[in-house]
This record gives sequence, structure tokens and C-alpha cells, in this order.
Amino acid sequence: MEDYKFLFKVVLVGNAGVGKTCLGMFPPGQGATIGVDFMIKTIEIDNEKVKLQIWDTAGQERFRSITQSYYRSAHALILIYDITSQPTFDCLNDWLREIDEYANNRVLRVLVGNKIDKEDREIPSHVGQDFAQRHDMRYLETSAKQADNVEKLFVQIASELMEQAKSKGISSDSPQSLPFNTRTSKSINDYCCNR
Amino acid sequence: MCVGCLSRMRPRYKRLVDNIFPSVPQDGLVKNNMEKLTFYALSSPEKLDRIGEYLFQKASRDISRKRNEFVMIAMEAMDQLLVACHAQTLNLFVESYLRIVQKLLESSEPSLQILATQSFVRFSNIEEDTPSYHRRYDFFVSKFSSMCHNNNPNLVTMEMIRMAGIKGIQGVIRKTVSDDLVENIWEPVHMDKIVPSLLFNMHTMKSKTDIVVESGISEEVNDKTDSFSLAESCLRELIGRASFGHVKSVIRPVLKHLDAHHMWVPNVFATQCFRILMFSIQSQYSYAVVETLMTHLDENGNASPKIRTSIADVLSKIIAIAANESVGPTVLEIINSLLTNLRTSVTRRPPSNIGLSESDGENEYREALIHALGEFAAHLPDYQKIEIMMFIMSKVPQFKSSNNPNDLHVQRMCLKSLLMVSTKYSSVQMNATFPQSFLDLLLKTLTASEDEIRFIVLRILHTLLDRHNNAPKLSKATVNITKSEINLEKCSRSDTIFIRKHAQDIYVSIYESLEMTNNTVENVEAVYTTLALICIELLSEETVLDFIRLILSIQELAITNAVLSTQQKFHLHGLVISIMLLVAIVTDLHPLKDYVEKVIEQRKLLSATHLLPELSIHNEVKSASLLPAGVLIEEPELTEALKASGIDITTETGPVLAHRRSWVENTNMSMKGSFTDLSNLDLDSVNSTPAMQRRFSPNEDLSFEAMKRSLMDNPVVRVEQNTRQTQLCDMFRNTSFQDLVAISTASKDEESLHSKITDVFNKVDISNKLSAVETTNQPIPIYETLFPELFAF
Repeated sequence: MEDYKFLFKVVLVGNAGVGKTCLGMFPPGQGATIGVDFMIKTIEIDNEKVKLQIWDTAGQERFRSITQSYYRSAHALILIYDITSQPTFDCLNDWLREIDEYANNRVLRVLVGNKIDKEDREIPSHVGQDFAQRHDMRYLETSAKQADNVEKLFVQIASELMEQAKSKGISSDSPQSLPFNTRTSKSINDYCCNR
Repeated sequence: MCVGCLSRMRPRYKRLVDNIFPSVPQDGLVKNNMEKLTFYALSSPEKLDRIGEYLFQKASRDISRKRNEFVMIAMEAMDQLLVACHAQTLNLFVESYLRIVQKLLESSEPSLQILATQSFVRFSNIEEDTPSYHRRYDFFVSKFSSMCHNNNPNLVTMEMIRMAGIKGIQGVIRKTVSDDLVENIWEPVHMDKIVPSLLFNMHTMKSKTDIVVESGISEEVNDKTDSFSLAESCLRELIGRASFGHVKSVIRPVLKHLDAHHMWVPNVFATQCFRILMFSIQSQYSYAVVETLMTHLDENGNASPKIRTSIADVLSKIIAIAANESVGPTVLEIINSLLTNLRTSVTRRPPSNIGLSESDGENEYREALIHALGEFAAHLPDYQKIEIMMFIMSKVPQFKSSNNPNDLHVQRMCLKSLLMVSTKYSSVQMNATFPQSFLDLLLKTLTASEDEIRFIVLRILHTLLDRHNNAPKLSKATVNITKSEINLEKCSRSDTIFIRKHAQDIYVSIYESLEMTNNTVENVEAVYTTLALICIELLSEETVLDFIRLILSIQELAITNAVLSTQQKFHLHGLVISIMLLVAIVTDLHPLKDYVEKVIEQRKLLSATHLLPELSIHNEVKSASLLPAGVLIEEPELTEALKASGIDITTETGPVLAHRRSWVENTNMSMKGSFTDLSNLDLDSVNSTPAMQRRFSPNEDLSFEAMKRSLMDNPVVRVEQNTRQTQLCDMFRNTSFQDLVAISTASKDEESLHSKITDVFNKVDISNKLSAVETTNQPIPIYETLFPELFAF
């Protein structure tokens, strides 16, 4: 009798100021996220309702210990950087290391280059694409401000998660039983681009 | 009509549920119908799950339509049902209840979130008796933690949501902690959310109090229910419920949080946190907190000294709370860990830096560690302090001299720790304070080549010896001291035994430490204090002699030693005269005191001030020569003075200052002497009598020359004496009383003897007369008649 068929937990990570909160379409007018924020997003795919619990984490270093604790139960992690800021891209390796340490190793990972509405791009699209491929991630560029690709991002995540859940015949709620095959190897070579 | 038909077709529970909702939301819950629903639920509890399910559907529909008033009514109904229904049937209903709570929490509306929390808190106070294996609180923990960090632009709303979050967490804890079958709340995945959320609210108190004042929240709301105190009490509850295995699950996130938020420097909040933890934890586990914090210190070995100092400081502030509960191996473990950290800190720096300025803060870190050690020790019972001191002492590296400055540093640190512990210990009996192995090690270190090490050891001795708080008055050698300034208590029997047993070792070590060429004024002053304290605490008439011998040996050292500097020799003279004066004062030896004062006068007269205290002031020699005549303590005069004081110096069987260790051998001799005395002791008065008579009485001729002579002639005299004694004894044993009287009167005045005998008879009780005659009568003639004869050699 639930009004949705699947429930997935999605966690947004990335440096402070890359626009995680905007991407999750949290109510505007907020300052920097502290700790963790939360919202629900319901998406319909193939006439089936999918509910996404979106946990928006604070980018600031000092909240790292609490934000990490949210990785574990996540079905999908959205790793975000700002295409106009090289440092946010440089930190991706650190984030990946953290994800490896704290998240389920079969978690679906998506790399998002945000703020494509801005003029002063620093990271070319192919570089992000490259990086994502190297680390077994989906790649997407978005503009949270103009809502470009944002809906697409969540639909993509939802449908992929749903696909995987269905293929195993399990619905929702236990990330351990979801056989995400997006990543075959655990090791990540310390690749660093454009440095 | 049609509607009526429809409604009649619906199941009864649905109708009952529908009826509790008013047509206009402002009217609120329809009370009558609610009672009906409750009655129905109670009478047919098997329907509860359906009622719950139906209420949930209605509520979620209302939520999506943003009809918040109806949502609130549904919630209220749920609450009432929860409270009314019996625990055993509740289980079915709870599922739908929790779903509706979750639904409310998922909404972005603050008012609904708060409503859900309030309801959940109420629910958490209901005790269920059926296990709920499948229930999961994962979402609640995540969501409530997130609410604790709410950053709503409206500060009042923010405060309310944060408080709701804390209350919710509290509810989850209550719900899960007592039931082992539900979700394990102590899992890191939960604790890593709960603990930081609470801490975050605790340390943002300050900024928020301002906000609350600004936003005009009424005082009574702010008073007891601000998020700070709420978070604090929640943390208290959490740690209070933690069993031993779970303590670490709570402490770990605390440490992580403090690290992440850089809250070690300054450590005000960290200290506050740990005090809260220590006071709320079940006291038998409190040492686990200390242990964890100590481990954290180990892990932060490479952090900046400032952070380490701060951690150590926190440790020192909470460690005392744990001390009361610590037992056995735990205590030593903690001490050992502290010492290990000290050692690491010392060896951390490259040796080349040692001696250079310690601006890197390592020093503060060490001080903090030592302080923590002291704090810990201070709160342990005394017998454990001794154990700890012995433990630390066993950790002090033992060497006379070392090329490795690190070793030296470690030694210094260990001794400083020991000093710290010793200041917390109050001696009662010296033999308890100084177990043999401890004393041995301590004395061995007293002769270390480093003057600084020796100084610390002396200070340790001070704190351990000083039972009457005399040390501050005796910190400097002085000749201006009176008895009234000193707190004096008669030396107990066990102390006398102690000093008798150990005097030799102690004195040898002190003497040897004075032989060191690198002694500073401070060292000599410290020796003075040590000796003064020994004198005050331990000396009695029986043991004063050995002590005086030591003093004379020190004077001898000052006169004859070839390697000491002139300056150091002056110090020794000052030490000698002041300690000698103190001995005279403490033991009430007036003739000795007079003599010492005479010497002091003499020194002043000849302006030989360099031989007097203050040690540090009188440096230049004002008198005509270095050691003018009459300024030294001379042995013949000293012996005179002692004799006049009634000191029993029979044990003094050798020349006082024959050579520098004379007193050592003398101690042996005197020990032997007393031992033979003991073995000679016989109940038979006849046998014991001659031995008694060997003692000098004060009115005998006891000049030094006489004594010397007596000692030189000793063997011959003794043999003679012994044979004479045996003869006399035999005679008195074998002959009758009448004969004895006859013999005695032959050599002595008859009348005097007769009067003496009568005297004695008078003293004896008449009834005992017959039995007493033999024993009392026989000795008397011996004393009276033979005294002159025996001593006329």
C-alpha cells in the first residue's frame, strides 16, 4: 500500500561551495550546509514510483566525521565538483579515497561537473569524462542554477538503481544485497590529471 | 443516501477512523468518536494493524495535499491509541505508526517534523514487551542527526528543529538501548551520527544563546530547554547506559569530532566534554575513558606538541575521577602508558637538540604528562602510591654516567614523575614508605654523576621524609633556628628500628653525593634539608650518635678532600655547623648545643663567615686564614659535650674520625654490640649483672684520652675482668649467705652494709619475704661491695 515501489538512498559529496545543496534542489536561501541535510525526491519511471532519499553533506572538513557515517548505507553517491574551479577537481581523488574507505564497495558512483552556466570554465568536459571513466563512474555536467540536466541526473540514477534491484529481484532498502557491477576492481591508481 | 450506503459497506474500523476527523480541521479531533475508536481497538485488538494502516494512508494523503491540520489530528489519534492499547498487542500497530512518523519527518515542513518528533518521544517512553526484530531505526538516527545540524535561516525555527532532533535521538536511544533484539544502537554507523550531533549542539551553545536573546524567545523556554543542555543530558544518558564494551563506541566519535573541529587547542570544550563523560559513565568503566584518551594520545604522536599538551592536560583533568575506581593492573597500565609517552617525547627529538631552547613545546607536553601522573596518583590510596613509586623507580634507567643524553633525559623525566607522585603521598611509617628495594634504588640514584638528578632525588627524599611540614623552614642551611619553629614529634619505635637498619646505607649515599665535584649550592642546601628532616623525623637518643659521626665525617671531608673546590668546602662547613646545631636542638642535648654555639661564636669572632651559612652569600674569606684555630668542631670537646648530655657512647668503640668511613664500621660495631647485649640478657640476675656493670656511668672518668686508653687495653682488660667476674659469681653462688656477709664485711664497713641490707629488707614485701630473700639479697652485696673493686683497674 506504499505510494512508491523503490526507495534508494543517495548521498551528495564534494568540496564546499560546489553547489551540492542547489543540485539537490533544497529550499533556497540557506547558508553553507552544516552536518547533513535531507530531502525526499519522488521520480516516476516506467509508471513506477521511485523514492530517493537525498542526503546532502557538508563540504567543510570539520564535519567530515559525521558525513562519512552516511556513506555506508547509500545506494548511490554523487560526487560533485565545480567546473570553474580547479581545486575542487583536484580534490576528487581524496573524495574517492574516502568513499572507498567508508562506502559500500558496490555503491553506484556518479561524477558531476556542476555550474556549466558559468563562463569561466577551467576543467574541460573531456577531462572530467576521462576521470570518470578511469574510476568507473558515470559522468554528467549540470547547471543547478538553470536546472540543466539535474532532473536527468536523478532519473538516470533512479533507473539504474531500479534496474539493478530488479535484476536481483529485490526491492529497496538493503544496499548490501544490491549487486552493483559498475565497479569491477577496488584498486584505484593514484591518477591525477591536469595538476 | 448513496454516501450512506457506501459508508455502511465500509468496514467498521474504517468508519470509526473516518469519524474522528472533523469536517472543519479547526475543530480538532472529535473526542467522542475518538473514544469509540479507542474502545473498539481495545475490545478487538486484532484490528489494530488495520486501523494503523488506514490511519497511515489517510495521513500520507493529507501530507501530500498539504492539509497539515488533518495530519496533526491523525497523529494525535495515533498517540492516543498508542497510550491506550496494551503493550502485547501494540506491536502490530507500531509499524504503521512509525511509517507515519517517518513520513512526517521526510516532509520539508518544520512544523510536521517537530510534530513527528514529539510523538516519537512519547512513543519512546512506552515500554513494549514484545521484541521487534525487524524494526529498524536507521532512518530515524540519520534524520534526527541531520535535524540536529539544521541551518534554517529563521533562527527560532532552527533552534526548534535542532531541539527536536536531539529529543528524537534521545528517543531512539531509549527505545533501542534496553532491548538487545532490536537494532544495535552502539554500532559505529549510528554512534558516528549521534555523538557528533550532540557535541555539535553542545559547543554551539554560545553563539546560539546570543541568537535566542536576539530573537526574543521567552526566558522560560530558554531556561531549561535550550539545545545545549538538552544535548548534554542526552550525552549523559547515552554514556550512562553504555556497558563496558560500548564505552569505546561512544568515546571514539567524541575524539574524532574534537579532532575534526580542532577543539584540542584550546581545550576548554574538550575538558568539559570529558568531565561530562567521566561523571556520567558507570563508575566502574571510567578508566576505559582514560584508556581510550591515552590511546588517542599515542595515535597523535606526530601531532603538534600543542595538541598533545592539550590532550595530556585534558587527561590530567579527568584522570583523578578514574583513580577512585581503578584497581590492580589498570593502575600500573595507566602509569606505564604515561611513562611510555614521556619516554617517547624525550626520544622524539634528535639528541643534538638537547640542551637547546625548548621552544617546540615538547617541554610543556612533558609537564602536562607529569601533571596528569600526579593527579592520578593523588587520588589513589596510599598503599598504591608506594606501589606506583616503586614501579616508576624500576623504570628509571640506572647508570652512573651515560654518553647518551636521551637516557639522561629519560632518567630526569622519570624522577620528576616520581617526585610528583611523592608529593601526593603522606608518609606515616618510614618502613612502609621506603621498602628495601625502593630505598636501594633511590640511594643508588642519589650518587648519580649528574647534579640535577641528585637534586631531584634529594627532593623526593624531602617529600617522603617530611611528615610535619618542616621542609619549607629548612630549605636553607641556617644557624638561626629555635626549637619552637620546628614541628616535632617523638620518634616512634618502628622509625627507630628503620633508621637503625638503614642508617648505614643512607649515610653512605649522602656522604658520597657530597663528594661529587659538581655539587652546586642548591645541592648542598638540599642535603641540608634531607639531613635536617632525618634528624627531626627519625633521630632518637639511641641513634643520634651515628648521625653525629656522619656530620663529623663531612667536616673531615671538607678539610681533607683534594678534589673539591674551596667554595664547595666552605659550603660543607656551613652545612656541618648548621646541621650539628639542629641535632643539638632537636634531641635536647644542651651541652652539645652550648658547644656548637661556642664554635659558631668563634667563627663569627674570627670573621670566618665563609664557614657559616648562608651558603650562597658568604663567599669571600674575611678571616686571617682559611681555617683559623677553634672554628672546627673538635672531637674531644664534642665527646665531652655528648657525655655531659648523658649520651651513651659505650658503643663508640673506635676513634670517631679515624678515617672517612669510620662511622660505617662503627655502625657495624654498635650493631654487634647491641646484639651481644641482647644475647647476654639473662633472667638470672647474677649472670646479667657483670654485663650491666660494663657500662659507663656519667660520673665515671670519660675523657677522650681515658676512652682511648680503655679501648687500646680492651682485650687484656676484658679477659681479666671476665675471670674476676666468673670467680665472683661462683663464689656468690656457692657460698652461703652468712659466709658472704662475712666476706663482705671483712672488706667493708660493717655498719654501712648492715644499714643497706635493712633498707632492702624494708622495701621487700613481708609476705614475699621467704621467697624473695634469696633473689633480692644476693645482688645487693655485689653491687655495694664489689663496685669499687671491679672498676678499679
